[in-house]
Parts: sequence; C-alpha cells; structure tokens
Amino acid sequence: MRALDKARLRLRSLLRRREVESELEAEFRFHLEQLVEEHIASGMAPDEAHRSALRTVGGISQFQEECRDMRRVNFLEDLVQDVRYTIRSLAKSPGFTGVVAVTLALGIGANIAIFTILHGVLLRPLEYPKPDQLMYLTAESPAIGGTRNALSAPEYTEFRQMNQSFAAVGAYSTGGAAYTTGEVNVTAGDRPLRVRSISVDAHLLKALSIQPEQGRFFNDEETARWTGTLPPPIAILSHELWRTAFGRRPLVGQKVEIEGRPHEIVGIMPPGADVMDNHTEVWLPLWLHSNTALQRGAHVLHVIARLKDGVTFEAAQTELSAFVEDWGERVGTKGHVPTNRPLRAVDHTLQLRALKDAIVGNASRPIWVLQAAAGFVLLIVCANLANLVIARAGSRRREFVLRAALGASRGRLLRQSVTEGAVMSGAGGILGLWLASAGVRALIRAYPASVPRTSELTIDLPVLLVALGLSTGAALLFGFVSLGRRRTSSMVTALKEGTRGASGAWHHYARRGLVIAQVAFAVMLVIGAGLLVQTVYNLTRIDAGFDRSRLVTFSMTLPMANSDPDTRAQAYQRVLDRLRSVPGVLGTAAMSGLPPNRTPDAIATPIENYVSDDGRPFEIIDYYQFVMGDYFGTMGIPIVAGRGFERTDNASQGKVAVVNETLAKRIWKEQNPIGQRLRPPGGSFGASDDVLHTVIGVVKDVRQRGVERPAGTELYVSLDQHSVSPPSMNVVMRTTLPPAALSGTIERVVWEVDAAVPVVRLRDMDSVFAESIRRPRLLAQLLGAFAGLALLLAAIGTYGVLSYMVTERRREIGIRVALGAARSHVLTQIMKQGIQVTAMGVTIGLAGAFAVNRLIASLLFGVQPTDTVTIAFVIATITAVAVVASWLPAWRASRLDPNVVLRDE
Amino acid sequence: MAKPTDLIQGTLDLLILKTISLEPKHGWAIAKRIQQVSREALQVQQGSLYPALHRLEQQGWIKAAWHLAETGRMAKFYSLTSAGRKQLDKELASWTRLSAAINLVIREA
Repeated sequence: MRALDKARLRLRSLLRRREVESELEAEFRFHLEQLVEEHIASGMAPDEAHRSALRTVGGISQFQEECRDMRRVNFLEDLVQDVRYTIRSLAKSPGFTGVVAVTLALGIGANIAIFTILHGVLLRPLEYPKPDQLMYLTAESPAIGGTRNALSAPEYTEFRQMNQSFAAVGAYSTGGAAYTTGEVNVTAGDRPLRVRSISVDAHLLKALSIQPEQGRFFNDEETARWTGTLPPPIAILSHELWRTAFGRRPLVGQKVEIEGRPHEIVGIMPPGADVMDNHTEVWLPLWLHSNTALQRGAHVLHVIARLKDGVTFEAAQTELSAFVEDWGERVGTKGHVPTNRPLRAVDHTLQLRALKDAIVGNASRPIWVLQAAAGFVLLIVCANLANLVIARAGSRRREFVLRAALGASRGRLLRQSVTEGAVMSGAGGILGLWLASAGVRALIRAYPASVPRTSELTIDLPVLLVALGLSTGAALLFGFVSLGRRRTSSMVTALKEGTRGASGAWHHYARRGLVIAQVAFAVMLVIGAGLLVQTVYNLTRIDAGFDRSRLVTFSMTLPMANSDPDTRAQAYQRVLDRLRSVPGVLGTAAMSGLPPNRTPDAIATPIENYVSDDGRPFEIIDYYQFVMGDYFGTMGIPIVAGRGFERTDNASQGKVAVVNETLAKRIWKEQNPIGQRLRPPGGSFGASDDVLHTVIGVVKDVRQRGVERPAGTELYVSLDQHSVSPPSMNVVMRTTLPPAALSGTIERVVWEVDAAVPVVRLRDMDSVFAESIRRPRLLAQLLGAFAGLALLLAAIGTYGVLSYMVTERRREIGIRVALGAARSHVLTQIMKQGIQVTAMGVTIGLAGAFAVNRLIASLLFGVQPTDTVTIAFVIATITAVAVVASWLPAWRASRLDPNVVLRDE
Repeated sequence: MAKPTDLIQGTLDLLILKTISLEPKHGWAIAKRIQQVSREALQVQQGSLYPALHRLEQQGWIKAAWHLAETGRMAKFYSLTSAGRKQLDKELASWTRLSAAINLVIREA
C-alpha cells in the first residue's frame, strides 16, 4: 500500500509538475508572509520587514531546488524535458524527421520481416517435445543420382526392429503408389472437398509424441496390416478441418465419406498438429498393397525416428552405417544394401538428417541470403542517416557549444543526443514493425507454399527483441555521431566560426567514407539482384519440352472404393469427350503426372534383350506417364522418331509404348529404339498383369521435376489401349479461353459424370510454370526491392554529401567565379568529386561481390556469379545514378552568383 | 540571537513527526512550535525544514492538505499518516535508547 502511495506521489511530481511547482511556490510565499508579519509585529517598517525576511530566508530558488531533489525525479524530469525538446526541434524540421523515420522504418522493416521468416522457419524449434531428437531417414544411392529418397517397406520394418539408437521409429506416406497425390476427397455435408492427407502408422505418432485431442490414435494392428485391397476405413481429422468443414460438431465414432467410402472418425488432432509441413487435414492409417510391401525397390515410406535420451546424432549414424554393412546377410536377402564394396548402381546407404533440416530443405540458403541483403540495406540506411545527422550536427554546432558554455556537461549533451536518436529510431522502429507485419502477411498470401513452416509465422518475442535491439543500436549511433568528436576546448573557435561552422576534416572524411560504403553495399546488392533476375528470366525461357501457351489444366480424382479401373477409364473418357465438344476447345487429353513439377515414380521395368551395367535385366525408369486421348498433339510435344498413340491402337491387341529421348539413349544407345520391347508392371496403373509393350515412337524430353532439372527417363503408356485408369488424372485442354471462363462448364461436365468429385487446381499452364519457379521469383523480387532501395539510398547519400560540400565551399566557388573561372569548369569539378566517391564504392563493392557471390551460386540458373554482362550493367546503372545525384549540386554550384555569395559573408 | 544548536542528523525528522502528532500544522507553525517548546534552544532553518517535509511526504509518513490558516490565508498543513505514526514510535524508541546510552556514558565515564 505504501509503495503504491509513493508511486502515486512520484507520478504526481512527474506528470502534474505545474501543480506541484505552484504549490511549492505558495508554500514558500506563506512562510515569507508569516516572517514579514512577525518582523512588523516586532516593530519594523513594512518594507524593511520584507527585506529582512528575504535575507533570513536566503535563496528561495535554492530551497525549492532542494525540495524538488527530495522528490527524486530529476532523472526522469530530464528525460521528459529531453523528449519534449526533441519533439519540438524535430517538429521544426519535418523534412529531416520524415526522411529519417521513413528510411529507418524501411531498413528496420525489411530486417524484421526477413528475420521473422528466418526465425520462424529456420531457428524456431519444431513444435514437438524434445524436437532435437527427431531424425529423418533417407536412402542415398549416389551411383544412380538418387538422393534423399524414401525407404522401402522391408527396409523400414527391419530397421525398426534392429536398431539400438532410437526410442521410436515411425513411417508415413503421402501416397504409396505411383498415382496418389497426398490428397483425398472428403464429403462434408453435401459439399465435396479435396483435402490434404497423410498415411501414418502408430509408431510415427509415438516418435513425434503427439496425442489426438479427442478420441484415439490408430493402433499397431490397424497400421501394419498390409493385406486386402484397401486400407482400413478409419480416419483422424485435423482440428482445423473439424472446425471449418464440420463446425466442431461431435464426430468421434461417426462416419464420414472419404474417397467415396464411409470412414469411422476415431480421433481429432490438436490444433497445429502436422508432419513434415504437409498441412495435413486428414490422417489415414498407413497401408501398402501387399506386393509393394515386399518390394525392396519400392521406396515409398518416409521414416522419422526419435533418438533415445543421451544418444548423439553421430553415434546413431555410426550404428546405422555399421549395420548397413551386413544388413543383407542378417535378413537373408541380396540386392538390398552393399554386401561387397565398391557400391553397385542399385545399392544404397541410409543417411540421418535432423528432422528440422529435412523440413526446411533448401529454403535455408535463400533465407540467409535475404537476411544478409536486408542487413546490407540496414547498413546503408545507417550510413545515410549518420550522414544526415552529421550534416545536421554541423549546423547545430553553435547550439551545442553554447549549451556546453552555459554549463551542460558532456554526459548531459550526449544524453540529449541519444534521446533525439531514440525518439526517431523509436518512431522508425514502430513504423518498421508495422511494415514488417504487413509485409510478411502479404508475402505469405502471395507465395503460400514457397517457403516451409509459414503457417506458423508470427512476430513473436524474439522478433520484437531484435526490433528493439535494432532501434536501440540506431539511437546510440545517432547520439554518438551527432555529438561527434566535439570538444569543449574548441568552444571558442566554434562560437567564432558561427553558423558557417566548417565541421572539420573528420566530418568531411567520415561523410565521404560513409557514401563509399553505401555505394559498395549497393553494388553488391544490385549484382545479387541482377543475377537472380537473370536466373528467373532464364527459367521462364526454358523449353520444358511442350507448348504451354493456351493450355488449361485441372485435376480430378475418382474414388478408388466405388469404382474399378475400367469404369474409371470410361468416366474419364466421357469427361474428355464432352470437354472436346465445348466451343473454343481445340483438343483434350489426360495424364497421370502434370509436368513440369511432379514426383518421380522410379519403377523397375524389365526390358527385353537388355542387361544393365550391374547385370540386371531391368532398368529403373524415373517417370511413368499414363495418358489418354491425343496427348502429344494436345500438349504440343514433338515426336522425334516413329509415331505417337493413335485411335487405331485402342482396339489392337499388341500393346504399345512411347519413350523419351533420354530413355532411348540410355537403354538402346546406338540401336533403333522403335520395335524394342519392355514390360511395365501392370499394378502401377491398374492393369491386371504385366504385358510386353512395343516401342512405337520417341518424343522430345519434357521437364518433369522442376524446369531447371534435366529430364529423366520417361515411359508413356496409353490408357485408352488398356481401358483402365488410376484414380487421379490431370486433364489438359488446348483452348483459346481463359480458365475462369471454363470453370463453370468444367464443373458441370465433371459433376454429370460423378457429383462427388471436386474439380481442383484449375488454371492455365503458364500459372503452373510460374508456380514451379515461384521461389527464385520470390527471391529475385525481394532482392530486387532491396537493391532498388539500396540504390535510392546511395543516390541520396551521394547527393547529400555533394550538396553539403557545395554549401561549405560557396565562398570559395564564389570567389573563383568572380575571378573568372568558367561555370562549366565548376560543374565538372564538383561532379568529378561525386564520380570519384562512386568509383571507389564500385571498386570495393565489386571486390565484395566476388567474395560473397559464391554463396548464391547454388541459387542461380544459367548464369555465373561473375557474369560480365550483369556486372557491366550494374556498373552502368550505378554510374548513371551517381551522375544524376552529383549533377544537381554541381549545377547549383555553377549557378552561384558571386555578388550574392560574397555579400552573404 | 544565539547560534542555534545544530540538530543531530536525523533528529529533525523525529521533531517534525512529534510536533504534528497532535494536530496538523503548516511549515511555519512547525518551526515556531519547535522553537517555543525548546525555549528557543532549537532553531529550525527553512532551508532544512521544507526539504525535510517534502522528503517525509515522499516517504509516505506525512501527508499534506491545503487549509485556511489562523491568519485567513491558505497554507499547506502536514499531518501524520498511520505509517508515520508507526515511524514516530520507532524513532522515539530509538531516540530514548540512544539518549539514555549517551547519558550513561557521560555520567559513568
């Protein structure tokens, strides 16, 4: 209670200062009057009494000051005074204040935005208990270029049983066979939804240590029973799907239609629960077809393992490598992992990776690059502001010296300068935070899936601390810079110099140095941005192997449960036929995997009269493409040799296939591929048995897994010939209409065939392309924005320094003009100064760029970090900017009227 | 007027608290009262009195209010708070102990 009273009193002295002061005044006056009356009572004349009283009392203001001291708020009062003074003086120069606050806000905002991403994506621990123990296992087969692959089912079960290092090992799959997409159809009420799904086993949830919020999790029995033709009809919903699609109604124990089959909902996950940033909405029991479950070559399971307490990453990796050595012998199989060194082509090893690294993947480098770029921008901002503050300090020199002369200590002056800095950087910081939160939100909206873990991004405590740190740093910088190296000893000279106040060589060199640094950083940023822009340009110009103009695509899935391969094929055929008859549609086709960004299949395919390098009669083919209709014609894929599929093939008995150039070259080398035969496994597309297919044509390579990656081997099979179809297909239409104009028609056509099937990802092929290069595009856009900002700031810096120099040398220039110097000479001389500073900055910046651009080499495509065209362009741009920035002050100098200048002095 | 005895450090607080313990008084009256009761032996200088009053107020031992004084003018009257009353008891006790001890030393030594 007393502490509260005290606080109230302190606050009163602080905030209601005027009231407290007038009370103090009144109290003293009362005392004085009493004294005077006493003196009069003892017989003094009134004015004599008054004088005597004043003498007795002594210095009134001194007492009052002591009384104020007793209230012990001087420190705070000074601060309040400083803040008031700062706001008054800043309000008097709104231009200066505005420039400082806005540049600071941009600098701090850019850094906070990128740091929010850096922290949220790269630094923040995963939201599982003891996340550092979680590991992701991959199969590495460097000999055939397969890295970070999933594991096969036998490998997974053997590993789980044999390992000593892990407390729990679990597996998930987002598909399990070649044609699943990690999505399922869910019927909520009467609305068909396409939602993201994952298939997990009971061990996985044990490894991740997550518990359903309601109901139960799958048990071992339900997730390891790989028999029958379909997985057990049970499911767990994400909290989010339960909330949005089912309105939180009690659902555990009830049935929900998933992929056309009623599933019992056994549980609801807690909010935010997910695996591998999959944005999972429906959790299904892990299930594999019994054939797949036995194949060592079918790498379909993603494995996550939790280290036992006290076991290190290194120890676990050592154990893993050691038992890979004789794994095959232990489980009595061959062709699994190497039993004899050296590696054979199909052999592989298992590799551990921290789960977080596996989730973040290759997003880490671009984010660090962006953070570095944002840091550069902040350095440029600070250099610019330091320059501004130095200039302002020059003109305020007299004020400071005068105050020092009147008894202000250096510490007091510094405190005032820092307060000024704090007010400005505080404003800049708050504005910057606002910019950052708006920017991050806009970024996530514009690029929803380009960066992992973005659904959890928020401006949280660590981010706020960094914002606070940046603002404080800027405030201190201001304080010290604006006070500079001023010494009280130079007081007299400073007062004599008056407003002209040449601020001395130190300031001059400091300012030039700051501009050089700005230009250098700007050069580095602009080169980085230039390289990235060129990368994006190169990516957009890649020939993906087909004609993507006027191509509209969408995807649909016919539920596996209530359809068999033949009826599915008929349904798709009906959809294609009806769409072909829509006016404006020139051709339609369907395919299982949509280029240029699909997952590889890697299917072992027996080939007639063929022996691979390691002595096997089959080859692993990277992509199987199951197509319907006039695929090559509709997609505009050129046929290099032989012919494409034709309608007459549909009825013929001999099954036919088309291969891409890479496959033809890899397998048949110099031989003619036409007429060769291979045997694709029928299970991969719904056919009942494996039949020999004759190659009838070779087509141009199509980029499948990212436009920047070279094409793999690809085999085309015509589903029309087999009259079967996998559940999910991508439809393409060559049309003159935009997707929006077609959406109504497409939905009507699809729903006529099956009303429970949603039309998803309807867009034109250009958007598919744009999406496949969205990350380099995002990087290029952000770096470009930073580089533009850097250029602008460097230009302002150059302009500022030259203008200041011109102002300082007005007198000299005036005299020279009066003595007959040519105006053009004055102009070139000033401009030369600007160009000199820029040239030094460019030189240093180029050196810096050569030093650090190696770091972004892996982010570039089709352009070298030392690309001469880019560098020449950057130098030209910076020089042009510098010329513009120097020209204005130089021109002003050359127009100086000597009469006016000399009279002014 | 004889030079007033310098007050022992800290005793001014005690004197002020004691003086206003019966009824609220303004600064002038406090000084006069101390002077009278001590038979002019203790003169409280304004320069010490008012800072002391403000300090005591900040510490929450006394509180101030504006009232009409005998002379018909508004004056700032100080009175004890309950915390101040406790503080007075404490200071009185320690003063009694201290003065008794000093007396002992003076007489016996």
